Amino acid sequence: MTRYAIVADLNRCVGCQTCTAACKHANATAPGVQWRKVLDFETGEFPDVSRAFVPVGCMHCDEPSCMEVCPSTATGKRDDGIVTIDYDICIGCAYCAVACPYQARYRVDEPSAAYGGGKKMRHETAREDPARLGVAQKCTLCFDVIDDGLEKGLVPGKDMAATPVCVASCIAGALHMGDLDDPDSNVSQLLNEKRHFRMHEELGNGPNIVYLYDGQIEDTSVQDKAPMVADPVGLAAVSPKPQTSWDWRAAANFMAGGAGTGLFMMTMLASLFAPVIWGAVFAALVLVGGGLFCVLLEIGRRWRSMNVFRNARTSWMTREAMMAAPYFAFGGLAWLTGWTALGWLAAIFALAFLYCQARILRAAKGIPAWRQPQIVPLILATGFAEGAGLLASAVGIALLAGWTQTTLGMALGGTLAVLVAVRFGAWKQYRRALGVTGAPVQTFEVLDGPRSGLALAGQAAIAVLAIYGALGLPLAGLALALAGLAAAGTGWLFKYTLITGAAYNQGFAVERMPARGAGESAPGIKPGWKTA
Amino acid sequence: MRSNGKSVTKTVSSYCYQCVAGPDLMKIDIQDGVPVQVRPNGAAAAVHPAHGKVCVKAFGLIQKTNNPHRVQTPMIRTNPKKGRGEDPGFRPATWDEALELICGKLNEAQAKGKMDESGFPRIAASFGGGGTPTVYMGTFPAFLKAWGAVDMSFGSGQGVKCYHSEHLYGELWHRAFTVSPDTPLVEMIISLGANVEASGGVCGVRRHADARDRGVKRVQVEPHLSITGACSAEWVPIRPKTDPAFMFALVHVLLHEAGRERLDLPFLKAMTSSPYLVAPNGFFLRDPDTQKPLIWDLNSGRAVPFDTEGTDPALEGDFTVSGLEVGPDDVEWRHDGAVCQPSFAHLVAHVKEYSPEWAADICDVKAQVIRKTALDFLDHAHVGETMVVDGREMPFRPVAISLGKTVCNGWGGFECVWARTVMAVLIGGLEVPGGTLGTTVRLNRPADNRWSSVVPGPDGFMNYPMNPTKKGDWKETPTSRHSHQTLIPLAANSPWSQALGPTHLAWMAQKKGFEHLPKPTQPDVWFVYRTNPVISFWETGAVEEAIANFPFTVCFAYTHDETNHMADVLLPECTDLEGLQLIRIGGSKYVEQFWDHQGFALRDPAAEPMGEARDFTWIATQLAKGTGLLAEYNTAINKGAAGIRLFGEKYDFSLEPETEHSVEEIWDASCRAGSAELTDGAESQGLDYFREHGFRTAPFSRERWYLYPAMIEQGLRFELPYQERLLRIGQELGARLHEKGITWWDRQLGEYEALPHYQDLPGLWEHAQEEAYDVKIADYPFWLLTARSMQYSWGGNAGIQMIHEVASNVAGHGGMLMNPAAARKLGLAEGDRVEIASPTGTTKGAVILRQGIRPDTVLMIGQFDHWKTPFAKDLKTPSMNALTPMSLELTDATGSGADLVRVSVRKLEAGA
Repeated sequence: MTRYAIVADLNRCVGCQTCTAACKHANATAPGVQWRKVLDFETGEFPDVSRAFVPVGCMHCDEPSCMEVCPSTATGKRDDGIVTIDYDICIGCAYCAVACPYQARYRVDEPSAAYGGGKKMRHETAREDPARLGVAQKCTLCFDVIDDGLEKGLVPGKDMAATPVCVASCIAGALHMGDLDDPDSNVSQLLNEKRHFRMHEELGNGPNIVYLYDGQIEDTSVQDKAPMVADPVGLAAVSPKPQTSWDWRAAANFMAGGAGTGLFMMTMLASLFAPVIWGAVFAALVLVGGGLFCVLLEIGRRWRSMNVFRNARTSWMTREAMMAAPYFAFGGLAWLTGWTALGWLAAIFALAFLYCQARILRAAKGIPAWRQPQIVPLILATGFAEGAGLLASAVGIALLAGWTQTTLGMALGGTLAVLVAVRFGAWKQYRRALGVTGAPVQTFEVLDGPRSGLALAGQAAIAVLAIYGALGLPLAGLALALAGLAAAGTGWLFKYTLITGAAYNQGFAVERMPARGAGESAPGIKPGWKTA
Repeated sequence: MRSNGKSVTKTVSSYCYQCVAGPDLMKIDIQDGVPVQVRPNGAAAAVHPAHGKVCVKAFGLIQKTNNPHRVQTPMIRTNPKKGRGEDPGFRPATWDEALELICGKLNEAQAKGKMDESGFPRIAASFGGGGTPTVYMGTFPAFLKAWGAVDMSFGSGQGVKCYHSEHLYGELWHRAFTVSPDTPLVEMIISLGANVEASGGVCGVRRHADARDRGVKRVQVEPHLSITGACSAEWVPIRPKTDPAFMFALVHVLLHEAGRERLDLPFLKAMTSSPYLVAPNGFFLRDPDTQKPLIWDLNSGRAVPFDTEGTDPALEGDFTVSGLEVGPDDVEWRHDGAVCQPSFAHLVAHVKEYSPEWAADICDVKAQVIRKTALDFLDHAHVGETMVVDGREMPFRPVAISLGKTVCNGWGGFECVWARTVMAVLIGGLEVPGGTLGTTVRLNRPADNRWSSVVPGPDGFMNYPMNPTKKGDWKETPTSRHSHQTLIPLAANSPWSQALGPTHLAWMAQKKGFEHLPKPTQPDVWFVYRTNPVISFWETGAVEEAIANFPFTVCFAYTHDETNHMADVLLPECTDLEGLQLIRIGGSKYVEQFWDHQGFALRDPAAEPMGEARDFTWIATQLAKGTGLLAEYNTAINKGAAGIRLFGEKYDFSLEPETEHSVEEIWDASCRAGSAELTDGAESQGLDYFREHGFRTAPFSRERWYLYPAMIEQGLRFELPYQERLLRIGQELGARLHEKGITWWDRQLGEYEALPHYQDLPGLWEHAQEEAYDVKIADYPFWLLTARSMQYSWGGNAGIQMIHEVASNVAGHGGMLMNPAAARKLGLAEGDRVEIASPTGTTKGAVILRQGIRPDTVLMIGQFDHWKTPFAKDLKTPSMNALTPMSLELTDATGSGADLVRVSVRKLEAGA
């Protein structure tokens, strides 16, 4: 087998960005898009300071989290290890972008010109590729160069004409490329000779850019992990940043999808005690549909959105879509025919849909706030609480208007109180787990602020109101309506915050700063991170 | 997924010489007539020290060529008023009209006489980037040669932006206009401010990376953690402009703390002036008959001429001797029984007080760091070892010291270059394998051969073409507006000398002339190419005012910019990828460019010229024709003014002088001459061959990297450590100037010392600023420095979007770098907009915080503050150039200033 990898010698790299520029040329990337770039790290405090230049880009991982999440199967992995994107299949959902912990993926929706104003230069016109608009793009490892070279009998990594342009253009001889499965290859030999690390090794992707940082392989002493530095000076460029792939439209899907499926399930559960509220069934269908419509607005290639169904094997986004179909089918039929059994069937798919949403976030490895395992119970609990809240608010209003019996309200109030408590418990579990693993500082700042929506006081107040409603006392309907709306509202606020405000990406980190010549290696840094 | 590399229809060969660390060879891919991609030239990997690679700047050439902001037709100014606030009112013109206008002005000048009433050339020209424009201007040098007197004294930044003291003293001491470690062999480098990873080009980066792989120990001594500091084993954050103290302390450790036996005593005795006895007045004691300097021979126990066979010269001790001492203007003193010491002993005594403890407070560097650095240098010097290079045994001394910009510029440059070269000779490491090398000559002749430039001079040293200082010979009336021959003996008078001269004096004189020098005049016609002095010089406000007063300025224009805003005619020439030219490559030249091969490379057009842009060679030919100089122009080309002499002993491809030749005819003849030169006349392939192959080389012996063999062959010594000649010419120059009534250059005369003493340079800068502008230095608490950027330096590419984009990945670009502790005191945070001010100007930018900079120092990378250049004018990037004063007090004896000024920093309101 062949497993191509890049070995970057941090002792040699000078951060000149020649590879960055060469890549931009070879691949005619748009202004601002850098499939390959070199980061500028600094550690220590004056006067004991180290500075290192770290080339990054697609790591062509052994276990690419981008490929796993891709709903269309556009992202693939060749036998030689190169992670690819089929521009003709990709729907541009950008799920891969938030699943990549190396911030390697871009999506460009409109043709752009270096000098703006629609004044495209001759070479920009000559090299523009409409197929790349609205879809995911990233480093290809110049597979076309590799393949052409192989056809000519050349050896990638050894012969310039068969080597990715970033490596071929590297003026410092810092970048090497070759086959890790060949023990005699240039890269295998380098890894045998020099101490090295891989970025974000703990995430388990098996990245295939390996960084050499010292020339003494025989020294096998265990190095400390790169220390998290919450407030690093001058490292904004390498610290976690807000993800820009998913905006309010994606958030709306999680808000409406969770609330809609929750509402559907709670409505069916309520039918155990009272006649089915078909209006709520309809609302639940509309909510989920509305959320998915928002997603449609977000993706880059809407007319091929049906490609979302192509990857049931690994993608939770595909599975979400697959659960949506029977949900709408059975739910819609139930609403049209009034057959409760169909409603129960739809409720099962609603639960599955909600679970898929939770797993979508869990699989988004690039966003520390999402990938926490405890996000799954939290998203489920939130969906139920939102659904119960919406139903309770509807019933509360009905109670006030005298359209329904008190017992349903009492049951819903009790259920809502329990669900709000469960949600709060799930939130605290999630938050505690995040504090243990650590996350970007701003993620904590946002989640611990008022925008999280799930603070104790507010949730307690909701629970009290719900219990008051459950007691069937005067104005119970009002209490129930208020509690229900607040439960749904705070859940939406939380999810909107989770998807937008708190969703800082992984950022970059170095395990060790390189030894330069006769100098010594120094501890690395994980900038912009903290625990607790 | 597919590559979007649509089919490449053609690939041509070219070179990148945007910086002085070039040239590098590349390929340009063309798609349907449009250059789309730059690639390294893999075919050159075998001959190019950096394996045929080009750096990031070369990749900017695609955007540069296709840039929509290019000036695409000749343009003529319609608004006679000039200035920043004036709209030039450029109107498009035909080439015929533009050339007629220019030739008319030239012919008027010719009719009046080529020199004006002050004796200055009526025609002036300014080019940027350390001579690199030459490799893009085709045969224009031949036109200038045909014309005759041209004033090159209006600088575009040289003197501050170059390595000025290194250029002059380097050439004097070891034919080293530029100095480099023997990087392929070196084991330890002490680097004071040299930023080779940013400015050493592709070869520098590659070789130093190889050196790091070998485990080289580089100690970077610099106020901020530059790219090179980042790539070094150690960083020593020295206080700005105290490098001479650091250097003197290194010399002190070698002479006062290490055993004598650890020095290369045979080298000192045989290859330097160390044994020369110094007479009571400070000049060498000489043999009365031959006037040769005397040494004390330990074998015979008497003083003998330095070149006496079979001697064992004393380096230290008091010797009672008789002889002749010759001072300035041939004044002679006879000494009988005078007690004299060898030069080396004077050196030892001179540096006694310069201990690491003494330097520690000055430099804000711990004494043990300085001491350890010096001893490490010694430990790595391998004194006594030899190695064989191409069959010749030479000393092997793998240690070197590199000096950067600002260290080499202005006051202190002499001290640092001297101490660096003294350090090299103390361990026998000058111009030998592993050691400190010169790479090119520009003031001595011939310029393309360092060995041939080694010509015997006085006292066993190499000759040096000093501008004369003796009465009668001294150039009392300058022929350039900066008076380089009058004021700077070391500047010599080669074609490069004017550009090296004290170029700011030319600009300063435009505001106020210098007493007892001819009345400053403006050139009748000023040509400008690949430079933008309104941005790249210093105290740019004054430069801008001067340029606005020039009567007729012709700018070869790429885009509109701040200098050509004041032009009368803009001429669009083919840029890097559109023009045709053949240049010399390899051999030994400039920064880290010493190769195992030498030859020629072609710049083959990758695109048809955009708009009405024309090949520079065509423009030069038309100017020659329009001024009636065609024969002289063609003759100049034949003689090599365009880079290659067209005839030799076994070949002659000379152009017919009276005929107008096409661009291709001219360069075909050059290609043929190049082929013949490389094959000793055996082959004569022309343009077609070079178009197919891109370049052609022949081996260049590695032995020729070193001057040592040439010195040995001619029995010459390095003129170190004692500067008797400089002492003499300094006194002579002083006498001449005083005879003329010039006293404003007295401070500079103090630099002519036999052994340089330490001066309080930070204090000098502070004092100069306070005196000149009546300010309190405490109001300007920070030292402002600058640093080169590989992405931008020399490239003239501030208007290239791609360069800006990728440069932004490197910390420090786009703002003012400062230490967070210093920022905290001012209440500043990352990204805050600030105004940085000196008494001469202000600039604005964003705060960039990094720990890798001294708290008393702020840094601005590159040169910006554009207000006209498209794209660049919107960058809001600060630049120190407006803030650095042109000051006579801060001008050293070689005529250079330094990128150094004290500034204040003030927070601006958001959005400012």
